[in-house]
Amino acid sequence: MKKKAVTLLSLLLMLLLAVAGCGDDQASEGESDGENKTIQFMHLWPEGNSTAHYNIVEDIIDGFEKENPGVKVDVEVLSNEQYKEKIKVLSSSDKLPDVGMTWAAGYLKPYVEGNQFAPLNDVLDGGLEDLFVSGTVEAYSIDGQAYGLPLELNIAPVFYNKAMFDEYGLSAPETYEEFKNIVSVLADNGVAPIALGNKDRWTGSLWYMYLADRIGGPNLLTEAINGTETFHNAEFQKAAEEIQNLVNQDAFVQGFNGLSDQEAKSLFMNSQAAMYLIGSWDLPNYTTNEEVPQEFRDSIGYFSFPTVDGMGDRNSWVGGPGVGLFVAENSDVKDEAKAFVKYFVEQWGEQAVTKAGVIPATKVDTDKVDLHQMYIDVLNDLSNASNITLFADVQMDPDDAQTHLDLIQALFGLDVTPEEFTEQHQEALSN
Amino acid sequence: MNKVMSNKWMIALYVLPSLMLVAILIFIPLVLTGYYGLTEWNGAGVMKFVGLENYAHALQDEQFRESVVHSFLLALFSTLSLGIYLVVSLILASKIKGTNLLRKIYLIPMLLSSVAIAQLWLKVYHPTNGMLNSLLNLLGVDHPPEWLANPDIVLYAIFIPILWQYAGFYILIYYAALKNVPEELIEAARIDGATPLQIALKVKVPLISGIIKVTVVLAIVGSLKYFDLIYVMTGGGPNGASEVMASYMYKEAFGSYHFGYGSAIAFYLLIITLIMTYFTRKLTASKDDVQY
Amino acid sequence: MKLPYVFLYMVLALIAVFQIYPLIWLLSFSLKDNTEIFGKSPFALPESPKWENYVKVWTDGNIGTYFFNSVWITVLSVALTVLLASMVTFAITRMNWKLNKPVLGLFMVGYMIPIHSALIPLFSMFNKVGLIDNPLSIVITYTAYNLPLTIMILLGFYYSLPREMEEAAIMDGCSINRLFFKIILPMTTPVVSTTVIINMIFNWNEFVFVNTFISSEKYKTLTVGIQNFIGQYMTDWGAIGATLMISVLPLLIAFIFFSDRIIDGITAGAVKG
Repeated sequence: MKKKAVTLLSLLLMLLLAVAGCGDDQASEGESDGENKTIQFMHLWPEGNSTAHYNIVEDIIDGFEKENPGVKVDVEVLSNEQYKEKIKVLSSSDKLPDVGMTWAAGYLKPYVEGNQFAPLNDVLDGGLEDLFVSGTVEAYSIDGQAYGLPLELNIAPVFYNKAMFDEYGLSAPETYEEFKNIVSVLADNGVAPIALGNKDRWTGSLWYMYLADRIGGPNLLTEAINGTETFHNAEFQKAAEEIQNLVNQDAFVQGFNGLSDQEAKSLFMNSQAAMYLIGSWDLPNYTTNEEVPQEFRDSIGYFSFPTVDGMGDRNSWVGGPGVGLFVAENSDVKDEAKAFVKYFVEQWGEQAVTKAGVIPATKVDTDKVDLHQMYIDVLNDLSNASNITLFADVQMDPDDAQTHLDLIQALFGLDVTPEEFTEQHQEALSN
Repeated sequence: MNKVMSNKWMIALYVLPSLMLVAILIFIPLVLTGYYGLTEWNGAGVMKFVGLENYAHALQDEQFRESVVHSFLLALFSTLSLGIYLVVSLILASKIKGTNLLRKIYLIPMLLSSVAIAQLWLKVYHPTNGMLNSLLNLLGVDHPPEWLANPDIVLYAIFIPILWQYAGFYILIYYAALKNVPEELIEAARIDGATPLQIALKVKVPLISGIIKVTVVLAIVGSLKYFDLIYVMTGGGPNGASEVMASYMYKEAFGSYHFGYGSAIAFYLLIITLIMTYFTRKLTASKDDVQY
Repeated sequence: MKLPYVFLYMVLALIAVFQIYPLIWLLSFSLKDNTEIFGKSPFALPESPKWENYVKVWTDGNIGTYFFNSVWITVLSVALTVLLASMVTFAITRMNWKLNKPVLGLFMVGYMIPIHSALIPLFSMFNKVGLIDNPLSIVITYTAYNLPLTIMILLGFYYSLPREMEEAAIMDGCSINRLFFKIILPMTTPVVSTTVIINMIFNWNEFVFVNTFISSEKYKTLTVGIQNFIGQYMTDWGAIGATLMISVLPLLIAFIFFSDRIIDGITAGAVKG
C-alpha cells in the first residue's frame, strides 16, 4: 500500500519537475538544423477574412522558397488585436518571430530600444530604398536606422454619400463654413451627418488632427509630439473647441462614444449617416467589393478636409504607412529573414493594389495597372500631397498615445474642457 | 480508522500533485508579478528596478482608484444577485412540473463564449438600431439613453450582461446543492405542516449554507478580477467610466507598455481580493460551522 | 392555490424565453452578413439566409483540426481537474492532518490571480522548458487554473457527505484508494457533474492561453478559429457567428448529458446508501 503510494507520488513529482524545471535545450530546436532553415513569419491577414492578402503572401512565400532551396517559411496568422498582444508576450521573453509585422514610429520604439528589431539599412541599400514612396521608410526609422519595411500607405479622406447630399442639394465642401452648413442642413433634416465610432478613439483623433492641421499648419502636431512645439499653442485649443462645437451641433451619430469603428462604418454603408472619415484602406468597400451593392458604391465620393477660415492646405493629409515588416535582432536565420523581407517587398506592391486593394508603400505606376478611378484619384492625391501627418497615436510613444486617445474620447464626450485637453496633453508629452 | 486516514503518504499522494501544479503555474507567476511591480519595464527592453515607486504611484493614480471603486460596485451587485439566483434555483429544484426542461433552458446563456455575449449585448444597447432603444422608441420615448456612451450609465449598463452571464454558473451550483438535500428532512417538515416557502427558508437554505458561503466568496473574487465583457464592450470607456481593475491593468501593461506598473496593479488586485476574502469568511463564519 | 401557480409558470416561461433567445439570436446572426448585422434591426430574421457563412467556416481554415483539438484538450483537462480536485477535497475534508486548512488557503489564493498578469511569467516559464507550442502547456495550465475553483465548489458538498459509510468501509479493511474511487466518487456524482459542466464550458471557450502558447495550426482550438474572420480593418461577423454556432452545439449536447447526471447521481447514491 505504502510502497504503491510512494512510487506513484515520485512518478508524479518527476513529471512535474520535468515540466517545471531544467532543460533549456528544447527551446532553440527547429530553427536551423544543418541545411534546412526555417523562417518563422507572423502576419495578421487571416485566410477567412483577408483572402486576397493571404493568397498574395502565400504566393510570395512559394516564390521565395523556390528561389531559396533549403529555406522554409513557417506562417502563423493572428487577428489584429491578438497579434499585438502576442507580440508583446513574445518580446518579453525575447522570442519574437524571425519576421513579423510592426507599425511605424511610436509603436516600434520600445522594440528598437530593447534591441529586438534588426536594423535593415543593409537591406535597403542597393536600390530597394528607391522602390518606396519617399518618407515612408523614415516613419520606421530611428536615428537614421530603418527597422521596418512599410507595406501599406494610407491617407484619410472624408467619404460622403452623394445620393444623400443630392437629396438636400449639398455638394462636397471647400471650406469649413460650407462643411458646417452641410452638417446643420443634414442635422435639421434628421439625418446623422457623420458616422463616427469613437469607442476605438483613434477615429476621433483623425478629426482632431485635421482641425489642428488646418488651423495650426501641417507641422504643428508633429512638432508638439517631438517637443519642439507645445500643446500650449493656442491653435490646439481652438481645434479642440471646434470639435466640441461639432459635437454640440449633433454632427456625429448618436452614441458615437460607445460605438466601434465597424458599427459606425455600417451606419455609413447603410446610408444612415452621410459622411465618414477613414483611411484609404476602406477603398474596396466603395469600389471593388462585390459584397457591397453596386448602387451604394457608385454613390460614394470623397473630399479632402476643407480649409478652416481660409487657413490650411488641402493637400496636407492625415495618414501614413500602416503595417511594415520587421526582422528580429536575435533571429537564428537573420540573413535568410532579411532576404525574405527584401523579396517580399519587391513582390508585394503591384499585387497588393491590383488583387487586394491595398495601397502599397512602394511606388505604383498607375499607367501600368488597371485600377478603379477612385484608386487613381487617391494615388494622385498621394503623389501631390504636400504633407502627410502620421496618425497621432502611431506617432506618439505607446503610453502617450493612450493618454491622447483617452483625452480624445473625453473631449468628444464633453468630459474635459479644451483647456484641460491641451493641458493634459502637454503634461503627458513632457514627461 | 484514524490510522488509515492519517497515512502521510496517502495524504501527500492526494494533495501534492495538485499543489505542485498550482504552485508552479500560479504561485510562481504571482511572485514574479509582484516582482515586476518593483520594476520599470516596457516588456521589450531592460528591466529597471525602481523599488516601491509603482506601488506608491498607484495610490495617487485617480484612474486606478476609480477602477477599484467600479470593481467593488460589481462585487456588491454580484453578491446581491446571488439572492435572485438562489430563488430561481429553489424553484427549479422544487417538485413542480417542467423544471427539468426549464433548468436546461435557463443555463443555456452560460454556454456562450464572451465573444457571443458581447455581440448580443452590443446589439441590445446600440444607440439607434438597438433592441432596447427600438423598444423604448415604440413606447414613445424620444431620446432613449445612449447606454454605452453615457459615462453616468455605462457602468450599470455593463453590469447587467455580466450578472446575466454568470447567472447560470451560480444557479447550477445551487441547484446541485439543493438536489443534495436529503429528501427525508423535507418530507418530515411537510408532515409537520410547513408551507413550501417555509421549507425553502427553514430547511433547504440552512442546509446549503456552506455552499452559499462559497458562492459569496466566488462572486466577490470573480467580480474583483473581472475583465472579459468590459474589455470587449466598452474597453473601459468612455473616458474610464467603466474601467475596472483588471481592464486598467491590461490597458497599462499591454496598451501603454507599462508592464511594471501593470504588474503592480495586478498585485494590488490580488491583495485587495485576499483582504476581501478574509473578511467575507470572517463575516459569514458561524459557530456551528464545520468548515471554517 | 391554483392562481399563484399560473402566475409562477408565466414568470418562469417568460424567463425561459429570455434565456433561450440568445441561441436563436446567434443562429439568425450567423446567417447574416455585416450589412444586415449592423444595419438592420437585431430582431430581424435574415432576409436571405447566408448558409454560405457555414460553408466558408467549414472550408476556410482548419476547423476540423480545431474541433478535434478543442475536444481532446477539453476532455483531458476536465478529467484531470475534476479528479485532482476531488482528491484534494477528499484529503482536506476527510483525512487527518494538521496542515489541511493552510493548504486549502493556498488553493483559494490560486483563484485570485488575474490571468492577464500571469501571461508573461507563464510564457517565459514554458519557453524555458520548451513547452511553447505544445498542447501539454495548455492542458496543465487549464488544470492548474481551474483547480482552485473546482476545489471550492466540491468543498461545500464534501462537508455534507455522511461519514457513516466510510467509517464502515474502513472498518471492513477498505483501503483509502478503494474508499475514494469506489464509494466517495460515485456518491459525489451530482457535484462532480456540476464541476464537469463548469470546467467544460471554461476550457471550451478559453482563448487567451491558447492564443499565447500555441502557434502551430495543428494545435489550435475552435476559439482561435474565430480569428480567421477578424481582419486588419474589417471583421466578418456572419462567419464568426457561424463558428460560434458550430462551437456551441457540442457543448450544448454535453451539457444536457451531464445536467441529467446531477439528478441521476442522487438516486444512484440513494440506492447504494
